[in-house]
Amino acid sequence: MNCSSLYRSTVPHLRAAKFLVPTSWTTGAQRRTYAFQAAGAPIHQVFNRRTKWLQKERAAANVEQSRIADFLKDEVAARLCERLLDIKRHYPKVLDIGANSCNIGRALTNPNPEPDPLLPQSGPIASRVGHLTAAESSATLLYRDAELPFNEQINMTREVLADEETIPYEANTFDLVLSSLSLHWINDLPGMLSQINNVLKPDCAFMGAMMGGDSLFELRTSLQLAEQERRGGISPHVSPLADIRDCGGLLQRARFKMVGVDFDDIVVDFPDIFALMQDLQATGENNAVLGREMGPIQRDVLLAADAIYRELHGNADGTIPATFRTIYMIGWKEADNQAQPLPRGSGHINLKDILQSK
Amino acid sequence: MAPPRTRPIQKFAAAVSQCSPEAAVYGKCIVADYNSVHKDKCVNEFMRLKDCYLKASKKA
Repeated sequence: MNCSSLYRSTVPHLRAAKFLVPTSWTTGAQRRTYAFQAAGAPIHQVFNRRTKWLQKERAAANVEQSRIADFLKDEVAARLCERLLDIKRHYPKVLDIGANSCNIGRALTNPNPEPDPLLPQSGPIASRVGHLTAAESSATLLYRDAELPFNEQINMTREVLADEETIPYEANTFDLVLSSLSLHWINDLPGMLSQINNVLKPDCAFMGAMMGGDSLFELRTSLQLAEQERRGGISPHVSPLADIRDCGGLLQRARFKMVGVDFDDIVVDFPDIFALMQDLQATGENNAVLGREMGPIQRDVLLAADAIYRELHGNADGTIPATFRTIYMIGWKEADNQAQPLPRGSGHINLKDILQSK
Repeated sequence: MAPPRTRPIQKFAAAVSQCSPEAAVYGKCIVADYNSVHKDKCVNEFMRLKDCYLKASKKA
């Protein structure tokens, strides 16, 4: 209790004792690090994985409809693969986790992934891929396009997983891990990213794209308003989604280095709310939030939601917009000989001079 | 081959599309003050929309 001597005798003893507690913490031999979830703690469950699997199986059973509605997944996969043009490497073993209908496999065989017409044609990225493993839990969806010609242009095997949340591969196996539009259905995203980091070889990259931020905010708000007015309460219809600023932290927590996160918005116009919902269903992206109300949405609510969607968000030409915000992430597994960021304050050129003279 | 089955939601959408004036009135009523929506706030407007939908779905 030597600390109490710091205080004058007028300070009551009780108060001095109060001050002692924090000092003993900070001067103690053990320094506390940042708080994190203890291992073995129960994972917060958000999505019903079995429901999601069923929805994907059902969606893929209708081959024609599901191919038509797949335009968004193909577009995002193409944008994700286009980023590989920036990395001049050869990838002997690549993993596509949560492959859906092998949208990434198809995008890799695109004869010219370079979107800028001024730049020279690059040739398909598949020529730099030794072997692609497409892993997915829904077999029907995974094998939907197994007969299409693009399968012959890439060395690809399909593997059906029991559940995407557990990656069944050895540590240090892959030279690149890709994931397109499936991470937003994972309950334990931090754990999933750690597993991805584990299966990567050192100094190899993970690139992922997932729905996030304000995706489908129009649908979310109009269904909420409709349910509130018609039934006096709301139930979840659109998933809770990760925000862009969460993703950097998540990647760093999974021990990824040189993390980069960016996003883009794809706005798709639909004739009405029902067409949007049918497309979501045909891609297996329907609601699988735990604690949602079972059974279909009431017709009264649907009728109201369509009217509200049109009034609140509708375009002048009578169509309705749906925003899909895709978050693209890249992170590198740590290695000894990896390029490191320079220490703070080691720069010699003032950025202000360069930017102002431009 | 049998013609492709029309899903109930498609019939529903077709009937709803014939009621855009009523839908606009209902939508305006909600959007006018969407921060304080409560149950049956626009019940009259909704019933007019629903009547129109029911008539349209009978015609089809």
